[in-house]
Amino acid sequence: MDNGRMDDGTRMALISATGLGKHVEGPTGRLDILDDVSLEVNAGETVAITGASGSGKTTLLGLLAGLDLPSRGSVRLEGHALEAMDEETRAQLRLKLVGFVFQSFHLLPALTAEENVLLPLELDATSNATTRAREALDAVGLRARGAHYPYQLSGGEQQRVAIARAFVHGPRILFADEPTGNLDHHSRDGIADLLFRLNREHRTTLVLVTHDLALASRCTRVHDLVDGRLVAHAR
Amino acid sequence: MIVPRLALRTLRREWRLPELRTLVAALLLSVIALGAVATLAARVQRAVLMSAAELIGGDLGIDAASPLPRSFVEHAKALGLRTSRVAGFPSVAFANDHSQLLTVTAADAAWPLRGKLVVQTRDGESHITHGPPAGSVYLDHRALVALGLELGDRVQVGGTNLVIAGLIEQQPGASDLIALAPRAVMALADAESTGLLGTGSRARHQLLVAGAAGPVAAYRAWARVHLPTDAHLVTPDEVQQRLAVAFDRAGTFLRLSALLAALLAGIAVALSAQRYARRKTDEIALLRALGASSRFAFGNLAWTLAVPSVLAALAGVGIALGLASAAFAYANGLLPPAARQAPLPIGPAFAAAGIALAVLVGFALPPLARLKSVPPIAVFRRSAAQTTRGFDALYLVPVLVAVGLIALETGSWKLAGVLAACLAGAAAFTSILTLSLIWLIRRHAARLNPALRLGTSALTRRRGLSLLQSCAIALGLTALLLLAVVAPALLDNWRRELPRDTPNWFVINLQSAQRADVRNALQRLGATRFNDMPVAVGKLVSIDGVDVETTPFRGRDISRDASQQVRLSWSDSLPPANRVIAGHWFTAQPREAEVSLDIAWIHRFGLHLGDTLGFLIGNQRIDARLTSIREVDWSRFNVNFFVMLDPAHGETLPHTWIASFYLPPGHAQALATFSRDFPSLSLIDVDQLLDRARQIVAQVTAAARWVLAFSLIAGALVLAAALTMSAAERRHEAALLRTLGARRGQLRAAALCEFGLLGAIAGLTALLAAAGGGAWLARTVFRIREFSPPWPSLVIAAVVCAVVVAALGLAGTRKVLRTPPLLLLRR
Repeated sequence: MDNGRMDDGTRMALISATGLGKHVEGPTGRLDILDDVSLEVNAGETVAITGASGSGKTTLLGLLAGLDLPSRGSVRLEGHALEAMDEETRAQLRLKLVGFVFQSFHLLPALTAEENVLLPLELDATSNATTRAREALDAVGLRARGAHYPYQLSGGEQQRVAIARAFVHGPRILFADEPTGNLDHHSRDGIADLLFRLNREHRTTLVLVTHDLALASRCTRVHDLVDGRLVAHAR
Repeated sequence: MIVPRLALRTLRREWRLPELRTLVAALLLSVIALGAVATLAARVQRAVLMSAAELIGGDLGIDAASPLPRSFVEHAKALGLRTSRVAGFPSVAFANDHSQLLTVTAADAAWPLRGKLVVQTRDGESHITHGPPAGSVYLDHRALVALGLELGDRVQVGGTNLVIAGLIEQQPGASDLIALAPRAVMALADAESTGLLGTGSRARHQLLVAGAAGPVAAYRAWARVHLPTDAHLVTPDEVQQRLAVAFDRAGTFLRLSALLAALLAGIAVALSAQRYARRKTDEIALLRALGASSRFAFGNLAWTLAVPSVLAALAGVGIALGLASAAFAYANGLLPPAARQAPLPIGPAFAAAGIALAVLVGFALPPLARLKSVPPIAVFRRSAAQTTRGFDALYLVPVLVAVGLIALETGSWKLAGVLAACLAGAAAFTSILTLSLIWLIRRHAARLNPALRLGTSALTRRRGLSLLQSCAIALGLTALLLLAVVAPALLDNWRRELPRDTPNWFVINLQSAQRADVRNALQRLGATRFNDMPVAVGKLVSIDGVDVETTPFRGRDISRDASQQVRLSWSDSLPPANRVIAGHWFTAQPREAEVSLDIAWIHRFGLHLGDTLGFLIGNQRIDARLTSIREVDWSRFNVNFFVMLDPAHGETLPHTWIASFYLPPGHAQALATFSRDFPSLSLIDVDQLLDRARQIVAQVTAAARWVLAFSLIAGALVLAAALTMSAAERRHEAALLRTLGARRGQLRAAALCEFGLLGAIAGLTALLAAAGGGAWLARTVFRIREFSPPWPSLVIAAVVCAVVVAALGLAGTRKVLRTPPLLLLRR
């Protein structure tokens, strides 16, 4: 297989989840968070997963990104079965393939904006790291703020830095967890525009978890998560 | 009541927080270290004094030229004390064709009250016994040889025939400086009936008492008031001034070591409190936002810390007392029997708890006090709580607490100041080194290996924390190296100062004409290290023209002190174990007489340089100007004098000589012959004193290992606290890096690099600070002249420490490496 195409010439899903289930043991017994969730996302698609608080959206995102393993079922990223990998191998796969945008930004407080963007490049020992980091900051309109620390930036600016960090190493998939959840109305639109523009420019596959229906509606596909089960929305 | 209730509820939840546990563990450790050492020291001090008591034969003695009034015995009995009467005098013994001057102790059947009289009887067995029955006498080996007698023979003492019932092997008071060789012990009743103690005899009478410390002290106070004019008190501590000096050193060393362990724990407290304060910031902000007064919020915090602290301090007192008892039981064989029964003092352990709580408050206060200024707005924006202040006077509190406690323990502000300066120097050096390294890393990070770049940048990212951690670890290591490497070297040097061939005999009453003959005779016997000094005996009669016997001097009545006999000597050069601390040593041929005094005399009489002292030696009067003040190390077992004159004027005075020499054991018979050849000389044996001093050094060395163990634990606590401080941040960082795809190896290499650098900085600082501090301690506290830091051991220890820090740091991040990346999405 190559470039998202199977050997028989059919198009291969970039993300493929089959029969995913996740449960935890709580004080009152077993609690099912996800139940028999299946999902396929093709390269270049933008997919939104919506749902009420506690519906399991973030858990699903974690499983799709390989941050956690399902209790049952299987996830494949670019054809690689995640459950067959140890955490170490999954980390390498994430480094090559995946970018993240979090609701609460997750910038390292002791690093400047530029140093935060540098992180994925440093982890991969990429050459020209500084130049690329500055370009990424330029792309989110924060070139002049590279030397600033997170506490010196507004919420919207912090999320821009996080987006620059997510795209800087050219991942094929971007996972975004409530990317506008911590922002005001004005910033929210700006961040959403930026996210979708960069996604288009980098031809990245986007999986977005949100309860903001307006944001979800900008995706090509929307799925609703209800009681741990995925329900497809017709568009 | 709501504050304590809320605090207890908080405590139930927060008890598992590592920083709170570290804080409590550090406090517990401080109490145990300080308490155990203080309890042991108090008990050992009692034991040492009891050893001294063994040397005089009782807890207290009254020495008089005539028998004491009956009231002295009656009052002692009324207080529940045991008593014994002894008389000491020289007497010539006759047997066959021989005669020999003996130092006779005439004792009643109760003597000795402390210590042992060991005699060998005719069956060859050694027995611990008391004064002999009437009609019999015990002689030492030299007396038997000198008189050509054996056990069971008869000897004539004071005109009466006595049976030699035993050979003296060990006798209390044998090392008393008035004891003359050879020795005999006879029954007091015999001495009284033969008229040896009658009018005109040269006998000194002693009443010895022994019993519990309280009644002895009461008796001492009573006796001081009722003492006849010709009598004086003989106390173990006075008699054993040298032992006391040795013990003071030992006690100071041990207490200082324990305090260093406690201050080390204080650093752990400070780090934990810093972390705890950071964690509590949100809670305080929330409480303030909900309308709680800052007093309420802070009160809650104070209660939360006070409850476990007080409990830990009490537990520490219990453990310290247990440990001290165990240590005492372990060392039982080394102690005199009376000391074994000494009650366990509990005061020092509670005092230690107080000191440890002072350390806790002093070190935890600065970070916690800052919480008082957390504004309610911080509940919305955390950065609002981080009000930065350039300098916070509160950070002087732990410094003042540390300096104050060192001064309190050692009784010396100078020592405290220098130790604090040494530690502050180490902290400053570490800061400079760490900041330079961080600067270098920032400048050249791009050229480093990508994995290492991640690690070194961890130091630069947390610059403030890196600085704090490296200082804490460096100070910890400094204290550890001081104790682990420098202290044994110091003790070893000290031990070497009492080498096997330290002079163990003194000869007094040596006439100028006899010096060469005596020296030759002793050399023939195999004596080494022969050294003699002139001695003139007189008394102080005036200071600056004031007759001190009749007139108060500078407002003080010193007539009693001045009436004592004074031994004066002189020498061209400053004698060994002497140090001039003010003025200058004698110039050759000064026009007017000059005198040099030991510092003790300066304090006793309130003298100043330039004062003129008048001495009367025989009929000769000499007025000498005070030109130098000396500090004499009395523990060296050299011949030393409080008063020294310039040789040009000293030589004009009537004088004899005192000599010291070393004679290996087993030469008693030869000495007996020597004693007979020079009957006018008095020989003094100080082997017992030397043995006791060596024993103290050995005991201190053993105790130092104990204290070192406490310090090691304290050092580990500092490291644990330092790791805890950054644990949350590390966990978040590791989770983020894992999410972004970092491999475990990369994170591990980064941690290794970070802690390796921290360890290297700390190791280097500790190496230099311990060497410097050790050299200073050796010179000023232990008065060891030729001390060179044990460089090879220090370097090895510093490298090992650095490696251990790196390894422990790496081990401490294991949990961080296992943090699941999903944690990030949940925050």
